Amino acid sequence: MTLFQKVLLGFVGLAAVLPLIGVPQYWLYTLTIGLYYAMLASSWSLLVGYVGRISFAQAAMSGLGAYVSVLTGMYLDLPVIPSLLLGVAAAGVLGLFIGWLTLRLHGAYLGLTTIAFGEILRITVTAEHQLTQGSRGLQVRPLIEGAGPATYYYIFLAAAVASVLLMLLLLRSRIGLFFQAIREDEDGTASLGVNVTLWKSLAFGCSTAFAGLAGGLYAHFVQLITPSMMSMQEMGYVLAMAVIGGFSNVVYAAFGGVLLQILLEALRELGEWRLAVFGIIAILMLRFAPNGVFGWLENLLKRKG
Amino acid sequence: MTLVAIAEQAANGLIISTFYALIALGIALIFGVLKIVNFAHGEFYMLGGYSCYLAVTLLGLPPIFGVVFAVVILMAVGVLVEQTLIKPIHTGKVDRPDEYAIMITFALAIMLLNLANSVFGPWPRRPAPVSRGIVEFGELIIPGDRLSAAGIGILLIVGLLLVLRYTWAGKAVRAVSQDRAAAETFGINISRVSMLSFGAGAALAGAAGALIGPVFNVVPAMGAVPAIKAYIVVVLGGLGSIPGAIVGALILGQVEVFATILIPDTNRALAYKDAYGLVVLILVLLVRPQGLFGKPERRA
Repeated sequence: MTLFQKVLLGFVGLAAVLPLIGVPQYWLYTLTIGLYYAMLASSWSLLVGYVGRISFAQAAMSGLGAYVSVLTGMYLDLPVIPSLLLGVAAAGVLGLFIGWLTLRLHGAYLGLTTIAFGEILRITVTAEHQLTQGSRGLQVRPLIEGAGPATYYYIFLAAAVASVLLMLLLLRSRIGLFFQAIREDEDGTASLGVNVTLWKSLAFGCSTAFAGLAGGLYAHFVQLITPSMMSMQEMGYVLAMAVIGGFSNVVYAAFGGVLLQILLEALRELGEWRLAVFGIIAILMLRFAPNGVFGWLENLLKRKG
Repeated sequence: MTLVAIAEQAANGLIISTFYALIALGIALIFGVLKIVNFAHGEFYMLGGYSCYLAVTLLGLPPIFGVVFAVVILMAVGVLVEQTLIKPIHTGKVDRPDEYAIMITFALAIMLLNLANSVFGPWPRRPAPVSRGIVEFGELIIPGDRLSAAGIGILLIVGLLLVLRYTWAGKAVRAVSQDRAAAETFGINISRVSMLSFGAGAALAGAAGALIGPVFNVVPAMGAVPAIKAYIVVVLGGLGSIPGAIVGALILGQVEVFATILIPDTNRALAYKDAYGLVVLILVLLVRPQGLFGKPERRA
């Protein structure tokens, strides 16, 4: 384990004791939202950073997980956990399907197709208002009846850490190698006997399943969801978070999500300018430091150490 | 449905097609030369609307100069963006250029959207239109502001086609989109053509925004929907194809106007209006990624 990895692990450890050392509830709430974005940004980086497949449907998939979880709970009277799992399954299966449909498409063509899928999902949720309340928003029951912010914070921390660990396990296995081989040279990988079709679809499905989990948890935490959580603007935030953290590494992308959410709250007096500045930073990062803030820091430490 | 109602719907479809074509032509021009899809195109369109608002409402220029102003400003913005963010792709300064191009233009879109939100606020603005009143063709009644905006749009499209067909710069643009390497061997300055086409593409989006601003409203988020429509149009016509962009726009305009009639519940029909084109987009990309007029690539 390098020094930098130890530092990051230290941050996770620090996060685990935050509610115990009297951090205000307001900041626990902010951090919980940040952990939602951490899951979403890292799930996106799993697909874009490792397999080299671009998707703009990640926010929509998180919304799908959220709406399936909430609606199955409302109409089928399922308890929270099974409905949450149904949301994950729905997002995963649809992701698998989209991944399989778009096998032939690359780059901008894939980007456009995923925008179309994301927007169709958002439009459908908005249009079927007798089911989803449309843009007025849907009331959601809490994850745990009467739980305080600290409980939610721990649940989200556990979910985010578990998600990232699962992704790392996946990436460390042979499958992770297949993913990266596909990113570097798809035809070459296929010629070596790797089932490119299977792994490309599966990568899409895994990534969207994690997004669905994040969305479902988020819905039962904020307890009011609207179709705007599936918008392209929301997708833009996720992209900015992953890019600023470092989209070629799931851990860095996750930290990017938390970091940006903290900054977003800390710089509240700047108003709308914050988002414009984040956009500029994301552009500069892509151009000059494609490994993100954390990738850049890691390199800096490596050179010193 | 009466004949007049059908004619009215068809005319509305034609007017909306003009704006789709203006925006889509910019995307096609940029894709043809640079082989990238500009995901910030809707935001260029939005900036065109605000340029028009600045010129007409704040500086008090006549409305037609609002369009000219928007074209000039957006040309400059396009050139600036191309020189700073897009050029590195073609000079080998970024690794994984495909993903870089997609993500950098998407990030640019988010940045411009929030910048407009900060500078102008989320309130709708409405610059004065080029003309007011209504125009009657027999029983058919069309609002004058829409008709004049569409008329200027058509003039711009015809102008662009003539420039592409007859001028040296236009021929250079077509040569580079057909074969980059061959064009370079024949002495065409690729980096200048790239700059020019990105600037012209942005200017077309700006002109569309300046023309629509007075008809609907100018708001920071105005670019999202037309941009997606324009992506549908270019994919339908074939990415990078100029005639494809025009035919695609004509088809989408009519499909949208008449497909609304298919769902009886009007509220739902309106809500789903934007989804039809997206279904078309997915189908075209899956079945025939080169679209109606594009040339097939080994890897789409």
